[in-house]
Amino acid sequence: MPRAGPSLPRLGVALGVLLFAALPLVLPTYQVSVATRILVFSLLAVSIDVLAGYTGRTPLGHGAIFGVSTYVTIYWVTVAGGSPWAGMALGVLAATGLAAVFALLAVRTSGVYFLLLTLALGMVVWGVCLRWSTVTGGENGLRGSVRPAALASQVSFYYAVLALVLAATFLVWRLVRSPFGLTLRGIRDSESRMRALGYNVPLHLFIAFTLSGMAAGVAGAAYALFNEFVSPTTVSLAQSVQGLLMAIVGGVGTLFGGFIGAAAIIVLENTVSFYTERWQTVMGLMFVLLMIFAPEGVIGRGLALLRRRR
Amino acid sequence: MEDCLVLDDVGVRFGGLKAVDGVSLRVPAGQRRAIIGPNGAGKTTLFNAVTGVVRATSGRVLLEGRDVTRLPVHARAHRGMGRTFQITNLFPRLTVIENMHLALRGLSPRRFALLGEDRLDAAERARVEAALGLSRLAGRLDREVRELSYGEQRQLEMAMALATEPRLLLLDEPAAGLSPVERAIVSDIIRALPRAMTVVLIEHDMDLVLSLVDWVTCLDNGRLLVEAAPDAIRGDARVQEVYLGKARHDA
Amino acid sequence: MLRRHLLGAAAIGTLARPALLRAQEGPIRIGLMAPLTGVVASGGREMVDDFNWYLSQRNNEIAGRKVEVMVEDDGSNPDTALQKARRLVEQGRAGLLFGNLLANTGLAVANYVKGTGTPYFIPIIAADDLTQRGRIKNVVRVAGYSASQTTRPLADWALKQGYRKIATVSQDYAFGHEQCGGLAQTFTEGGGQIAAQFWHPINTADFSPYLGQLANSGVDAIFTMQTGADGTRFIQQYASFGLKGQIPLLGSMNATDQSVIRTMGPEVEGIVTAAHFAEGSDNPTVQAFVRGHVARFGTIPSLYGFSMYSGAMWVAEALEKINGRTDDPNLLIDTVLKTDLVGSPLGRAVRLDDLGNPIYDIQIRKVVRNAEGKFWNAPMASYPEVSQFWKYDQATYLRQPPYSRNFQGIRR
Repeated sequence: MPRAGPSLPRLGVALGVLLFAALPLVLPTYQVSVATRILVFSLLAVSIDVLAGYTGRTPLGHGAIFGVSTYVTIYWVTVAGGSPWAGMALGVLAATGLAAVFALLAVRTSGVYFLLLTLALGMVVWGVCLRWSTVTGGENGLRGSVRPAALASQVSFYYAVLALVLAATFLVWRLVRSPFGLTLRGIRDSESRMRALGYNVPLHLFIAFTLSGMAAGVAGAAYALFNEFVSPTTVSLAQSVQGLLMAIVGGVGTLFGGFIGAAAIIVLENTVSFYTERWQTVMGLMFVLLMIFAPEGVIGRGLALLRRRR
Repeated sequence: MEDCLVLDDVGVRFGGLKAVDGVSLRVPAGQRRAIIGPNGAGKTTLFNAVTGVVRATSGRVLLEGRDVTRLPVHARAHRGMGRTFQITNLFPRLTVIENMHLALRGLSPRRFALLGEDRLDAAERARVEAALGLSRLAGRLDREVRELSYGEQRQLEMAMALATEPRLLLLDEPAAGLSPVERAIVSDIIRALPRAMTVVLIEHDMDLVLSLVDWVTCLDNGRLLVEAAPDAIRGDARVQEVYLGKARHDA
Repeated sequence: MLRRHLLGAAAIGTLARPALLRAQEGPIRIGLMAPLTGVVASGGREMVDDFNWYLSQRNNEIAGRKVEVMVEDDGSNPDTALQKARRLVEQGRAGLLFGNLLANTGLAVANYVKGTGTPYFIPIIAADDLTQRGRIKNVVRVAGYSASQTTRPLADWALKQGYRKIATVSQDYAFGHEQCGGLAQTFTEGGGQIAAQFWHPINTADFSPYLGQLANSGVDAIFTMQTGADGTRFIQQYASFGLKGQIPLLGSMNATDQSVIRTMGPEVEGIVTAAHFAEGSDNPTVQAFVRGHVARFGTIPSLYGFSMYSGAMWVAEALEKINGRTDDPNLLIDTVLKTDLVGSPLGRAVRLDDLGNPIYDIQIRKVVRNAEGKFWNAPMASYPEVSQFWKYDQATYLRQPPYSRNFQGIRR
């Protein structure tokens, strides 16, 4: 029985959707491409939050799952000569399969072991993408014209990505609010109690991890069409870390925080690097400050304030 | 009467240490049974071997005649075994009603429902209300568990175990850390449990337990020391010896 | 909002000039990308410095128009490079793009400008296919080189020294595969033999496993392809293993580039490499450039410096011919392709082939100590008019696969 939520968060979501829908009307082309990027990475952050926020397990391999979908999509179009739609479907499929393999190995661990195991699995994927150069193009990666003609314009592509990301996020939101989603939060709070109540904890984690990987795969496939280029950087640890940072900045366990986190990090990255070459240092400092003053993330902080007011 | 729980020469060893050493006992269906013993007697390990948290390294555990020795914890729950925890083990960031939901769903296929709201049907709602009523938590539904008092959390422990309607309920020191008033509440809850439910509780505090149960098993050093009715236990020299001996030792 | 590097003094008298000369209003906007952070940041900094140095010598004016250079850090990361290229073109309204260092960053940007048509000049990016099988018309390698172009004359020179058996040691990535491929193909076609090829990961700390095998391989010479810190380590360990003076060491131009050897000692002496530039040449133009660079930056110029300096000069001279117009990308590209570069630090006139790759007189260089006691690369032989296709027929050559670990063009 879900609590009758405060209407403010709902209003926030509605406003957010409206804002994203209106962006291309007011922004110049380049900023539209930045907004597209934000959407793609929001979905990656949302997918990470399913594990980090709901099962209490922080994954560091989601960049690899995301990137494998990008690789498969671009490979299918540029090397195999297939259609982008089929490429995206195959990309998502590959990401889901990879996530299932990761899950099999990782669901019996938690805490720092889960973190390190997913990190190691991600590194394996990165190594394969780097070394299997006959297929992946090695460190030079794969590139070509991937986007379908119908979505050639920046604005039409933006709306397509918006629709895709919102649909995927809606499904993930339904998932975390479902009876199954409640079991994930139960696992987060107490695994031993869950087992005593009859739950097969590893099975629930396996399903959650695989579905989370599927969402990351949808983001990766969209990224393939956006970037039209993929190299081992896309499956690297840095990618996994960035996705996780976005989830944390927005607020772990808030789901929609992923959008705030992705927007904050990408917009900052773009503005700060206008002014200084040391933008990475500036970003690092801002993250440290956020962790000191609002460790629960932007949305988490907002909800906490809201709760205090009531 | 049919036996609900049978332990057949159960042993648990951790490396060289025999925490439980060849314990055999039978708990008939519907009985209230206490397992007592001083600290270090092996009560908790035996309890864990029954619930499956640790595996018995020798012997067999039978639940309603079926061997569950090798089954994982969750599978035993599906066979009708419920438990509470000595150290409060709830879902602190979830509300009381969400805790109850999880208790209910553990045995229902609805736990895999990926979409849709989590609504209770009439029968489920009745079970939740009954369990919460029995545990005196009605009216606390939307509170997060971490906001409850310790006593209320202990009551919720009971309520969750009850909601699963187990045929065998295992209570792990249900009164640990409670004030005299709160102990009385817990005792009342235990007394009010349906008679069809078999209840095994382990408890350090003899006085509390002897008024609640039909039969008592006393352990010492991992072995079964004596089994008797509560009145007989009170006067048993061996029981007094292990309790007092320990007490002298502790002092 | 853009971080602007408005170079030198403010433009004077733009308004005073007759309107006819101002074919296009406003400054010439150039997007310059270089790795200012990440693994190759020091090279990236030299790229920007020398590019800007050239423009400052012309008062930051080309064809009477002010030049505005927008510098962006590609972070040594292809995704960042692509993002920055987007921003320079779509938001910064750059008329042309310049730069990038790592092949994967260049390939990412090239794929993007393929769609926009923006002229993109790559003095450092050496990936063969950008001016071969995967040529993009608006991507031109001004003052750059394709990876396998310069190692072929080196192979020919090695044959002339009587070397018959060579082993190669190279970083294991496309740039290394291509440089080794050029050498291996020409060397084996000339009757030589490649005894062994070792591929090691980038950032190898310990070369002893390779050096041990090389010491007993009975080869006449060893060729090594290295960049950055791997170059320093390899050359040091080659000497400390006692191989220096025992087996002649040949290298890729990056292995003995100033960016590597300016901090090193006598262990670098005697290594032979091939390149389109030799800072130790006695050519007066070259020496004037080197002296100027030392005076301004305190260092002898590296590959990154002279390439960007010369590349800037090349495009500037083309822009002079068309009154600084950057509004017509095709006009600019066609003009650049037809412009011969004279008076650059390369020391001799250079032209582009029809795929946008320069044809050079390749210098066989040896590391020696100069009068000031510094080590530099001095030319000792020259191969005139070397194109990226060496002595092959272009069409035939392009039918062979690109070089990779598995295909090195070796003839047995």
